[in-house]
Amino acid sequence: MIDVRQLKKSFGSLQVLKGIDAHIHEGEVVVVIGPSGSGKSTFLRCLNLLEDFDEGEIIIDGINLKAKDTNLNKVREEVGMVFQRFNLFPHMTVLNNITLAPMKVRKWPREKAEAKAMELLAKVGLQDKANVYPDSLSGGQAQRVAIARALAMEPKIMLFDEPTSALDPEMVGEVLSVMKQLANEGMTMVIVTHEMGFAREVGDRVLFMDGGYIVEEGKPGDLFDRPQHERTKAFLSKVL
Amino acid sequence: MDFRFDIIVEYAPYFWKGLLVTIGVSLAGIVFGLILGLFIGLGKMSRHPLIRLPFTWYINFFRGTPLVVQILLVHFGAMPLLLAEPNALVSLVVSLSLNSAAYVAEIFRAGIQSIDKGQMEAARSLGMTHAQAMRYIILPQALKRMIPPFANEFIVLIKDSSLGMIIAAPEIMYWGKAAAGEYYRVWEPYLTVAFIYLILTLSLSKLSHYLERKYSTQ
Repeated sequence: MIDVRQLKKSFGSLQVLKGIDAHIHEGEVVVVIGPSGSGKSTFLRCLNLLEDFDEGEIIIDGINLKAKDTNLNKVREEVGMVFQRFNLFPHMTVLNNITLAPMKVRKWPREKAEAKAMELLAKVGLQDKANVYPDSLSGGQAQRVAIARALAMEPKIMLFDEPTSALDPEMVGEVLSVMKQLANEGMTMVIVTHEMGFAREVGDRVLFMDGGYIVEEGKPGDLFDRPQHERTKAFLSKVL
Repeated sequence: MDFRFDIIVEYAPYFWKGLLVTIGVSLAGIVFGLILGLFIGLGKMSRHPLIRLPFTWYINFFRGTPLVVQILLVHFGAMPLLLAEPNALVSLVVSLSLNSAAYVAEIFRAGIQSIDKGQMEAARSLGMTHAQAMRYIILPQALKRMIPPFANEFIVLIKDSSLGMIIAAPEIMYWGKAAAGEYYRVWEPYLTVAFIYLILTLSLSKLSHYLERKYSTQ
């Protein structure tokens, strides 16, 4: 589903990705962990080209992102993204936040888009918030709306960039449980997170990144309980 | 000191005519300034330094030189090349438009760039094109933020239109000067003129506050 080969990326003179290889299968839930500055968010943002990369290639669902004839907007329609800071559209109601892209990009009629939106709001437990503006939502509610907004495009892949890092501790659970449900339904997910418990429980595979490389990867049980590399051990001993 | 109301009464019809000219010239100036300024602001946001350059210098010139100089250049320099019979009102509208366009361009650019980067990223991540993201996400939020600085620019423009006096454009200030010259009086004509400007600018800032409140409650 996602093929990444020798991905390299620099910001000015600072190389943040130094050659990333990763293969993510359909329906797989991959969790990316690592210290801050390790390049994990940049890696995730390269997967829908929110961040351009310098070298290497990314192939998503058979489409090479850097090929001349690739329509990036078409690729992004299939790759949903959830941000650390929600990025809901503050000038629109929750319902319009969710229906906008399906109507303008997928050209769905309003009735279809609204029906889908209400179905998704029910799924994330926020039917009663359809007609409020985002500034009246709590952080946990806002992030659940953001997830519903991304799902409304019926993407094949969902990317999560530290979705719970900006939340008060008591709201982390409600967001993680929505993500867990999504994982159980077979969605292909790539998640950058600091929630190790969640990574262990929901992840099919964990990638540990440090210094612009994937240092170690494996099943959560193996990586968390029997880390092979010193850097992985050092990182895990600090966060677990 | 006696205050000669009879001068004001005598000049009332001229002040009225001058008021209409001031309003008309300022309105034309802000409308053309908005259109031109939008275009210049877009140019200045271009990613290519070479495309940005002329727009940057347009803004530098019109913000960095006195409006009086610009009016004289337009009226006695540029207009005679373009029109057989230069007209002071046309020259004033052209100068005000060119000048306000520079300020509008900066308001426009600052308004768009004040919107959080995450808004564009969220829109693009949903598959929207850059144009769709601008139209549905960035501009509606940016325009709301631009209301107060736009109103402010309009207020400045109304006051600046008084400089039309130096090329004998018959706006309010011109008639104030005329009355002062005829009667050798200072207070009556100039206080009247000041009072009229004050009414214009105060009503405009009230309107701006009203619009700001109206659009910020959603």
